[in-house]
Amino acid sequence: MKVWLLSVSRVLGRISTLALWLAGIGLVAMTAVVAFQVYMRFVVNSSPAWTEGGAIMIMSWFIFLGAAVGVREKFHMGFDVLLYVLPDSALPWLRGISDVFIFIFAAGMVVYGSELAIRFWSTTIPVLGLPTSFTYFPIIVSGGLMCLFIIERMALRLSGEPVDTASPNEITEV
Amino acid sequence: MEYFILFGVFLTLMIIGTPIAFCLGISSFATVAYLGLPPVVVFQRLNSGVSLFTLMAIPFFIFAGDLMMRGGIASRIIAFAGSLIGHVRGGLGQVNILASTLFGGISGSAVAEAAAVGGIMVPQMKARGYGADYAVNVTSMAALIALLLPPSHNMIIYSISGGGRISIADLFTAGVIPGLLLAVALMITAYVVARKRGYPTEAFPGFSKVGQYLVVAVPGLMLIAIIFGGVRSGIFTATESSCIAVLYALLVTLLVYRSMSWSEFVHSTLGAVKTTAMVLFIIGSAAAFGWLMAYLKIATIMIDFMGSISDDPLVILLLVNVLLLVLGTFMDMGPLIIITTPIFLPVVSSFGVDPVHFGVIMVLNLGIGLNTPPLGPVQFVAAAVGKISIWEAMRSIWPFYGAGIVVLGLVTYIPALSLWLPALFRGN
Repeated sequence: MKVWLLSVSRVLGRISTLALWLAGIGLVAMTAVVAFQVYMRFVVNSSPAWTEGGAIMIMSWFIFLGAAVGVREKFHMGFDVLLYVLPDSALPWLRGISDVFIFIFAAGMVVYGSELAIRFWSTTIPVLGLPTSFTYFPIIVSGGLMCLFIIERMALRLSGEPVDTASPNEITEV
Repeated sequence: MEYFILFGVFLTLMIIGTPIAFCLGISSFATVAYLGLPPVVVFQRLNSGVSLFTLMAIPFFIFAGDLMMRGGIASRIIAFAGSLIGHVRGGLGQVNILASTLFGGISGSAVAEAAAVGGIMVPQMKARGYGADYAVNVTSMAALIALLLPPSHNMIIYSISGGGRISIADLFTAGVIPGLLLAVALMITAYVVARKRGYPTEAFPGFSKVGQYLVVAVPGLMLIAIIFGGVRSGIFTATESSCIAVLYALLVTLLVYRSMSWSEFVHSTLGAVKTTAMVLFIIGSAAAFGWLMAYLKIATIMIDFMGSISDDPLVILLLVNVLLLVLGTFMDMGPLIIITTPIFLPVVSSFGVDPVHFGVIMVLNLGIGLNTPPLGPVQFVAAAVGKISIWEAMRSIWPFYGAGIVVLGLVTYIPALSLWLPALFRGN
């Protein structure tokens, strides 16, 4: 059971890394698209219509992919006030409760994101010419990944793996 | 009851340690469910809250800041600052503050700045006999200068949270004098504390050496002119100028300094992705939360409440400042700007406070909160660099807090400090 769980975890780790790299490529691509817009506007003197919408779509992919990776790598910023007063043994419980709520929200991203995608199938995004549904795909994919990562962590926690750390591993903030 | 659900669920989850983005999202989700509104609205807001071209400046500025930090632009600016004022009392403390001011003009992130300047300065300061607490406190407070000087992405978040009608160019300009004022106040504090503790000064290397360091630092410092000039003159939007900052940082680090390796580029990119994904995901869920607050008309309730306490704008500003300082100690800056702007901006506006002025007050106020435990991200970074605990740093931070609070008071009660420069640039 545990061996199987750990090999699933390795696969999910690879998926997470892949998502992070895709997001990184997205950031570079977004830089290129906006740079192209600036170049066209100032040098060629004609603004392409698709760059703004295109860049926004890339941005929402990398934000939501990155946010899903953040659930697995635990770089979302939180605030451990109860841990100051409770014994260390409370940590897995607090993290477990948190994970349940994150799962609910992530599932909401999948369910209601899909609802939005279906509802807006027949309208198109101006300029890009794609169905408006495309706007909601990042939420659906991200919510799906988050659900997988949470189930993974819950299973690992229940099987006694050390998955919980007190404070965020990395401090990343504005 | 719906108010209780919105804020109660939010606070409960936050206390358990749930990441802030999810606290905001889940409390909105719960409130919408209670009110019987369609839940899709939360997820639509989550998505539309981040699908803004103006917001794109945030990933770009964070990316550019990371590239500059790793690519050697920061270290060259520090070398220049060192040659210029290392001989003043409190030597390396002064260098730290001047370097933060210069680097703050090209990077808008206080955390990046604490890491970039602190990473180089704190070990040097400790080696020269400065107390680690002094080094850490100077670093963490000086990092706040970056929040006020352009390009400050917190100003962009404020502009968006205020409904998108507050000019980013005006906000950028308005922060300049308060930012420099904070620098001066910290330099004076660093001087006084250094004198009391008998810290050494560095030898003045001579003007030709200063000139040499300046020449080396110029390619990095040019960014100040590009960003500020571009946005102020209206040639570029904030987003375009932030994209140019990325390209320029790449150009300088790859071609001029030749200090950026492929692995460092990958590191920078993935680091920037993580930071921006975290920040913007919070912004998206705060947009859902903010929508509910608007739906529940919380701003109107707040205006009536504040109006019942006092009709003096000075008192109202004092109250808002105290509230924000308290909130800032246990919450992060970005989400607080998004959540509190729609509440407090209508309040202070109804008392005749200029939105641009209020933006500067808010950014400085919440900036101080980045240096207060329990949730003080800038202080975390600085203390980690200095290898001391937050509590050790806290023991001697008070004079520096004092300097910050004095500047906050001046900025709050002398609107001209913020508004004079933008008016000058607009030419009226």
